[in-house]
Amino acid sequence: MQDPLHAFELHQILPLSLFGLDISLNKATLVMWVVVALIIWFLLRAGSSRSLIPGKLQNLAEVLVDFIRGIIQDTMGTDGLRYFPLISTLFLFILFCNLLGLIPGSYTVTSQLVVTGVFAISVYILSLAIGFSIHGGKFLGILVPPGTPGWLLPLMIPIELISQLARPISLAVRLFANMTAGHVILGVLFGLTITGGFLIGWLPFSFTIALYGLEFGIAFIQAYIFTVLTCVYIGDAIHLH
Amino acid sequence: MPQFDSNFFSSLIFWEIISFGILLWILYKYAFPPILETLEAREKKIRESIEQAEKNRAESEQRLQTYEAKLQEATQEAEGIVNEARDQAQRLLDENQQRIRTETDRLKTEASQEIDRERRKALQDIRKETADLALQVAEKILTRNLSDDDHRRFAQEAMDAVADHQTN
Repeated sequence: MQDPLHAFELHQILPLSLFGLDISLNKATLVMWVVVALIIWFLLRAGSSRSLIPGKLQNLAEVLVDFIRGIIQDTMGTDGLRYFPLISTLFLFILFCNLLGLIPGSYTVTSQLVVTGVFAISVYILSLAIGFSIHGGKFLGILVPPGTPGWLLPLMIPIELISQLARPISLAVRLFANMTAGHVILGVLFGLTITGGFLIGWLPFSFTIALYGLEFGIAFIQAYIFTVLTCVYIGDAIHLH
Repeated sequence: MPQFDSNFFSSLIFWEIISFGILLWILYKYAFPPILETLEAREKKIRESIEQAEKNRAESEQRLQTYEAKLQEATQEAEGIVNEARDQAQRLLDENQQRIRTETDRLKTEASQEIDRERRKALQDIRKETADLALQVAEKILTRNLSDDDHRRFAQEAMDAVADHQTN
């Protein structure tokens, strides 16, 4: 039976190097390019008509934009809308990576912990930067929940510190683990289908169909969760409690 | 797990940052502005349409109220006119009846006065004629011989006549 983790293996396609840094091309980087090209094509096409009564593509893009705007307004308030380009790009990038990974033979970029880790750490650093630039030294108050009595501070500050540090880790691991697990299950079931043969193979195969639909939903949900949490973290930094 | 093969970390991170950066720049510069503009234009248009509709509704309500008030005024006026006409008709009728009654009374009084006058005149005429006749009779009698019985009878008749005259 084939190794279910086989699908996550990367192979160098074109060796490249920049100032001694290895930037060789592989399947994941190619998929990233496709994702970028698809998003740009989609949004530029959708935005080109500017019609008051939208067509299908324009309508889809507008629903998406409105959806992300809704997330931002719900979690950060109206002053969060200045981060709209960043947050919507993040959402679209993760969503398209998740969805493209579902195409057989493609590669799920978000199943790489480094990729999700870079996003998570960048988002977290950005939220810290926003917090300190708005509130200055008072931003450290995020470590003290409102209404904490003074004698509890030695206990609360370490706990809050840990919860703060857990934010980027959980953000990165959640997306990575969900994408990996879904593909592992699909891989296992496909392996069972092949080894089960004609007689019993239909059973795991029908499961793969059901799970494929589920994975489609998870691709959306994980992109959504990543975006919402990003908004929440930046919103916390803006409003401080 | 193959994901922890550190050989690919540098290229993955590099290309991730580059692709995300390019994507963010292009979307920020070229893709989002037209979409957001369209959305805002539509929101504005919808808001304006709703406001216009609200204004129109308020205006028509106002107009309806004015019309209703006018209608009520007109109804009251019409009722007033009808009442007045009825009153006037009643008054005319009463006046007519009154006039007829007085006229009738006057005519009746005049007629009875006339009758009375005529009767009195007739009586006077009769009395005058009777006196004339009596004189003529007296003349005739004086020219003839009268017996005692005749004297008595005449005297009696004359006394009766005088008594009659007094009672009348």
